[in-house]
Amino acid sequence: MNITFPSLIALLLFPGGLFLLGSGLFFEYLDRKLVARFQNRIGPRWFQPLADFIKLLAKEEVIPAGTIKSLFILLPIFALAAALTAALSVPLFGFKPVFSYNGDLIVTLYLLSMMTLCIGLAGANTEDRFSIVGATRALTQLFSYEAPFLLAMLGPAIALGTWNISLINQGATQQSLWFIVSQPIGFLAALIGLMGKLELPPFDAPEAETEIVAGALTEYSGRGFGLFKIGRDIELVVGLTLIASFYLGGFSTPLDFLWKVFVLLLITAALQSLFARLRIDQTVGLWWRIGAILVLCQLVLIIVGNTLSPFIAPLLGG
Amino acid sequence: MENLAQTVMDKLKTWARVNSPWAIHFNSGSCNGCDIEILATLTPRYDVERFGIKLQGSPRHADVLICTGPVTLQARDRLLRIYEQMPEPKFVVAVGSCGISGGVFQGCYNVVGDISEVIPVNVYIPGCPPRPEAIIHGIVELLKSLQK
Repeated sequence: MNITFPSLIALLLFPGGLFLLGSGLFFEYLDRKLVARFQNRIGPRWFQPLADFIKLLAKEEVIPAGTIKSLFILLPIFALAAALTAALSVPLFGFKPVFSYNGDLIVTLYLLSMMTLCIGLAGANTEDRFSIVGATRALTQLFSYEAPFLLAMLGPAIALGTWNISLINQGATQQSLWFIVSQPIGFLAALIGLMGKLELPPFDAPEAETEIVAGALTEYSGRGFGLFKIGRDIELVVGLTLIASFYLGGFSTPLDFLWKVFVLLLITAALQSLFARLRIDQTVGLWWRIGAILVLCQLVLIIVGNTLSPFIAPLLGG
Repeated sequence: MENLAQTVMDKLKTWARVNSPWAIHFNSGSCNGCDIEILATLTPRYDVERFGIKLQGSPRHADVLICTGPVTLQARDRLLRIYEQMPEPKFVVAVGSCGISGGVFQGCYNVVGDISEVIPVNVYIPGCPPRPEAIIHGIVELLKSLQK
């Protein structure tokens, strides 16, 4: 939809800001409810993430001894701010992004990684051994999925010849064949990479509660933990929007957005309940031995296809 | 006006607390009977996520400390430490006869006594061991007392 909002409203109320926070909470609810239904449970009530968030904000915040205090307080704010900023150049809810410029794809992808970096720093900042193990795992996982995820998101960008998210979205709507059909490996890598980014099962080794309590965020209580949590919810919304606009034929109306993103959410919830947690070395092996190579092959094929298409098209009579 | 804002904020906080009790489970010397019942409470059959109850790994994230068994001399310091690691507001639920009185372990050479001798307890759930329904009922009683 080609409505442009005044930038202050777009930043604070809709589609960014408050509405984005609300939809982040709603997406978390949907995710938890779907996983619960897959496990034959009834699942949480619709206001559950909101109640969790308010409770965490109202709780005492313990700042443990041996941490750098300012870093401890600032990191959650920084993580949430990065997630909110990442939403600015993404076509949320099918509306035009607030800021759109050439190359915003790379900026958005790096803003999405800020969250993991902040979690890693937060874990390394405390003296707690569980936090440090969690931080190490989070950063190891970052290094394993980051490259394949980036390559997977570059596939449609290179095929359409632009690195501007809203132009890719428009281009994807005009394609006769959705990119999920022409670049299936890229779609899988992007979706599974997003699950790794959000530390959802089976990639939840960095916060495995049976081994390392709660991973990097073990020492965070109250407000800090709440901000990290809602930051992750917003990343879920932004990430799903990106993948849907790139691989599921883009969207130009809110209705189009809703059904495509919900289909993706259904798939991620199913994957979460299907697979058991991978060890950290299995995660790294999966990405570098299989994921990265397959995505790289696909990228080479796309580039070769792009360069050859002007010569081949006349032969095919196109 | 300020009073009104205060009451609204208080109501909101209480509502959030009642609807999102995250629990941590600690065994201070129990025979494991109650622990198995607590685990049974957390299975999909009873599905306590309906009420927002979630088992947390870290005491820093938890609101409710679910305690089982008498307190042994060795477990006493650990129990105190876990209790002190939890951020305010925090609540303690003692599950099983041993948590109430020391049960069959009362008077043993290595037992301090029941849980209330070490930390303040909000709700006692009797039974040896209590059924999952009883444990859920106990938590609901705790949440009801919060609303007042």
